[in-house]
Amino acid sequence: MAKAIKNVHKLSVSEEEQRTKDLREVEDALIKNKQAIMQTLEIMNHMQDKGILSLLNGLFGQGDKVLDIAVKAMDKPENTNTIKNLLLLLGTLGMINVKQLEPFLLKIDAGIARVAEYKDTDEKTGYFDLVKSLKDPEINRAITILMQFLKGMGQDTEPFEKTVQDTPKKRTNQTKDKTLENNEKRS
Amino acid sequence: MSDFSIKINGSEVKANKDQTILNLLTDRPDQVPHVCYHPSLGPIETCDTCIVKVNGEFVRACSTILNDGDEVDTNSDEVKEAQVIGMDRILLNHELYCTVCDYNNGGCEIHNTVKEMKINHQSIPFDHKPYEVDHSNPFYRYDPDQCILCGRCVEACQDVQVTETLSIDWDRERPRVIWDKDVPINESSCVSCGHCSTVCPCNAMMEKGMEGEAGYMTGINRETLRPMIEITKNVETGYGSILAISDMEAAMREQRIKKTKTVCTYCGVGCSFDVWTKGREILKVEPQIDAPANGISTCVKGKFGWDFVNSEERLTKPLIREGDSFREASWEEALNLIASKFTEIKQKHGSQALSFISSSKCTNEESYLMQKLARGVIGTNNIDNCSRYCQTPATMGLFRTVGHGGDSGSIKDIEKSELIIIIGSNTAESHPVLATRVKRSHKLRGQKLIVADLRKHEMADRADLFIQPKAGSDLVWLSAVTKYILDQGWADQEFLNNHVNGLEEFKQNLEKFTLEYAVEATGLSQETLIHIAETIHQSKSACVLWAMGVTQHRGGSDTSTAISNLLLVTGNYGRPGVGSYPLRGHNNVQGASDFGSMPDRLPSYEKVTDEKVRAKYEQAWGVKIPEEPGLNNHEMVAGIHDGHVKAMYLKGEDMGIVDSNINYVHDAYEKLDFFVVQDLFLTITAQFADVVLPASPSLEKEGTFTNTERRIQRLYQVMEPLGDSKPDWQIIQDIANRLGGNWNYTHPSDIMDEAAQLAPLFAGVSYERLEGYKSLQWPVAPDGTDTPILFTDGFPFEDRKAKLYPVDWTEPIEFGEEYDIHVNNGRLLEHFHEGNMTYKSEGITSKTPNTFLEISHELAEERGIKDGTLVRLTSPYGSVKVHCLITDRVKGKEVYLPMNDSGEAAINLLTSSYADKDTDTPAYKETSAKLEILQEEGANPLPKTNFRYGNPQPQIGVAVEKKWARKDYIFPGDAVKKERNQHG
Repeated sequence: MAKAIKNVHKLSVSEEEQRTKDLREVEDALIKNKQAIMQTLEIMNHMQDKGILSLLNGLFGQGDKVLDIAVKAMDKPENTNTIKNLLLLLGTLGMINVKQLEPFLLKIDAGIARVAEYKDTDEKTGYFDLVKSLKDPEINRAITILMQFLKGMGQDTEPFEKTVQDTPKKRTNQTKDKTLENNEKRS
Repeated sequence: MSDFSIKINGSEVKANKDQTILNLLTDRPDQVPHVCYHPSLGPIETCDTCIVKVNGEFVRACSTILNDGDEVDTNSDEVKEAQVIGMDRILLNHELYCTVCDYNNGGCEIHNTVKEMKINHQSIPFDHKPYEVDHSNPFYRYDPDQCILCGRCVEACQDVQVTETLSIDWDRERPRVIWDKDVPINESSCVSCGHCSTVCPCNAMMEKGMEGEAGYMTGINRETLRPMIEITKNVETGYGSILAISDMEAAMREQRIKKTKTVCTYCGVGCSFDVWTKGREILKVEPQIDAPANGISTCVKGKFGWDFVNSEERLTKPLIREGDSFREASWEEALNLIASKFTEIKQKHGSQALSFISSSKCTNEESYLMQKLARGVIGTNNIDNCSRYCQTPATMGLFRTVGHGGDSGSIKDIEKSELIIIIGSNTAESHPVLATRVKRSHKLRGQKLIVADLRKHEMADRADLFIQPKAGSDLVWLSAVTKYILDQGWADQEFLNNHVNGLEEFKQNLEKFTLEYAVEATGLSQETLIHIAETIHQSKSACVLWAMGVTQHRGGSDTSTAISNLLLVTGNYGRPGVGSYPLRGHNNVQGASDFGSMPDRLPSYEKVTDEKVRAKYEQAWGVKIPEEPGLNNHEMVAGIHDGHVKAMYLKGEDMGIVDSNINYVHDAYEKLDFFVVQDLFLTITAQFADVVLPASPSLEKEGTFTNTERRIQRLYQVMEPLGDSKPDWQIIQDIANRLGGNWNYTHPSDIMDEAAQLAPLFAGVSYERLEGYKSLQWPVAPDGTDTPILFTDGFPFEDRKAKLYPVDWTEPIEFGEEYDIHVNNGRLLEHFHEGNMTYKSEGITSKTPNTFLEISHELAEERGIKDGTLVRLTSPYGSVKVHCLITDRVKGKEVYLPMNDSGEAAINLLTSSYADKDTDTPAYKETSAKLEILQEEGANPLPKTNFRYGNPQPQIGVAVEKKWARKDYIFPGDAVKKERNQHG
């Protein structure tokens, strides 16, 4: 006669047994990951030396509070502006074509070298000297480059600007090859 | 195949008739953006981002059908401009804080479209809506502030799920989604099916399991999150960089969120979906468009009812009975005990003293192994499964007439049929997702619907014709209608001549089923019967769907036969959109029998009595199989009472609560010498066991299920088995091997390979062919060709012809005059059976904490019963105590007691041991009782948050015309034109 029963005696593992079992598991894990653990310990030692551990301890211990303070601090106009500027600058840097810039930078470098050689002198340049020096191929090339540069600088860049609200018409898109492309110009 | 050619941006392209521009473009490089369009929902026309120009006019690509010679422009400035206006309007309604958004998992339509359209800024800044987040529903929440008013959720609710709860109130200054007539979600008619959160393109409608869990930074306190969103917005230098960061974060999420395909275990529809998990934590269930049975559909149980998997009540170690309690034991000890007891009983009383019950919740492979254990290791055919409690009579009716015991076609055939007849099935609650297909076709396509039932449930409410024949009299009206059709010369004579045998004998037997006789027996009018006959006659295609209201009677097999006869006479077999559909109740009712857990049949329904069949298995297994059919469930219980069945091994079935007349069943359990129960929980049944084995549910194992469409689908392991629990197939193998079985299956696919070699119906089934969302509908030929529609090339009898099988009416049992209340019983939408699994969901339990007795207004008035009154029902077999709920779903002296209770209100305390005369399926539906009031005043058993109190607001789709009619709405195409004109 097997009546319905609900009582269940849990398989009680004594504290000592459980401890032995747990320890064994930990031991196994340690042995299995020996190299990683040794290295981790080394890293932790460095972090201890530099005080990073206690810093992190405080950070994680009070995680929610710290995050809240940090976020609120960041959410001030001057700070968000900093981040924004950084992002903008990053974006702008990304647009510079280093391949094109390289010869330009080399030329500037050469110019600087010359200036350094000359040091300060009392030598003066008159109008004629100026006109005459146009015949100097090196100077002529430098001026041509500068004039091209000024021309480029004078172009209308509004459609490329990320900092102003755009309209669908003016929208500028970044294409896959990272060059800018403008809806107005696209046909 | 193309019908004509058109031009896209100047180049010629082939197109088909009835094809939309968006459909055509999906396979082409010229893409158009789109947000509200969803392949399963079709064009909704709210987002205005897919605008293109056709022959110079702006149109929406999603809804515009192509015509010969059309010239389509998808990339001119004007078109882009119009699309951007559409997107800008979306961004006015939706704040982009992707990195701290739980929906940032790579699938956000807004995120992806902004990226695709290369939008960097919005011209109209985001503006908060003046509404709070609605957290009231336990399963999902709605954030109006993030809602872009695309209306996908409304479309899904109105026209896919067809619960008709959601709408967008377009008349407000700031429109939003509302529930019913604008009540909190939890007080509405919402059935929590999850469609809305599944189709939402963003984070507006979201599963609560995802909240604060999906992202790395989404779990942050609300107070901190807000400034964080502000920072993100303030530092934005264009969406490009934000989206890049959030894309990185989304990619990181892949590392810890696992997405695994599984198949639902809650009913026979066989919904499949991805389960998103983080460790053992279930974040959400994500149905897929590719899912063959359900697509994007789910019900509350499949979408939200998985808490039981992590329940603290799960069994994690084997239990062994010791005195008046169980003690946890090691597998070693439990298995050895089982092996020694089984051996001892076999030696002492013979193999026939042992009995085996397989589960329709377990996999095909596990069903196969259970019968192999019984037949091949123990040497008995005493093996059955719990479809004995529901659908065996339907299988019998189909074997008699058409030869295959399964649905004739797929759910898609039900969807496209002209006429659906539902008999004795509360489909909207018992097979919710399948019901949605009928509701949708009925609502949108004019499909006709006839419902025969005692209760006025949802399908009855929607039917064109709802009939309430006297309980248990379906065979009579079905036969009378069949006779009338034959008499009128409306039968499909050609079909009968070519494909059917036995017409004359059948006609003779039908003689007695005159309209007059049917009126007398069923209580229906002649006009109604003629109307049914006419409707069937006029419909080019008809499907009959039936369930327990037919089968759980003493004449259950006969009524199922009568249904099939009617379909044969009218030629409704062997083509798309027609046939018989016995709706299987559990995920694997079909498969449990398919794979041989039946006392008289081996896998593939081959007969045990067939010498050749036995020889095949004997050779493969290297054993002798007994030639006599074994005992079915019902006979096993009787056998225990008789004293010749001594031991039972039962898995995955709380038989002690779901079998009928459970007092009698419990007495049997007490008499067993040795009883092994394998389950997730210490169920009522398990409480009688000598050894209880902890099994793993579907999410913790691999295998296959076969749904009601005969569709075999694979499930993959979502998580590790809990504690020391094990998948059933491993446990069965362990037992077999301790009894000398020498089995060596390392994976369920090994078992399927063996079954496929032996069982002709599954010859071409393999795990490779079932990978991912692929499925096969049996019979499957060796080359892997499956059979979505049965009988297209004849019936599986010797001359390929079906049989008309004459049947007579078995009148329902009379319990005697004092038992004047007819107790109907069955399922509820939100609970599965007794509720062992579904009550573990806090959300479900909060909305439906217990069972209740549905009582008609008439009966309530007559007896002085109120909502909450505590009554006792007493039948000759036992009594239940339950609180009443007055409703117009039942009438007169018929009451309805849902089966979601395993205590004092368990329906099977009342039911008898009478059973279908042909299959021994209990006649659950033939139950009468007397009613006495125990306590007049009581709390209403159904909380006000239950959907049954809701107030649905039917409409077609999202009613986008109302949006277009708003004063502040201007079609982006017109806006562009206007601007261009102004600028000359």
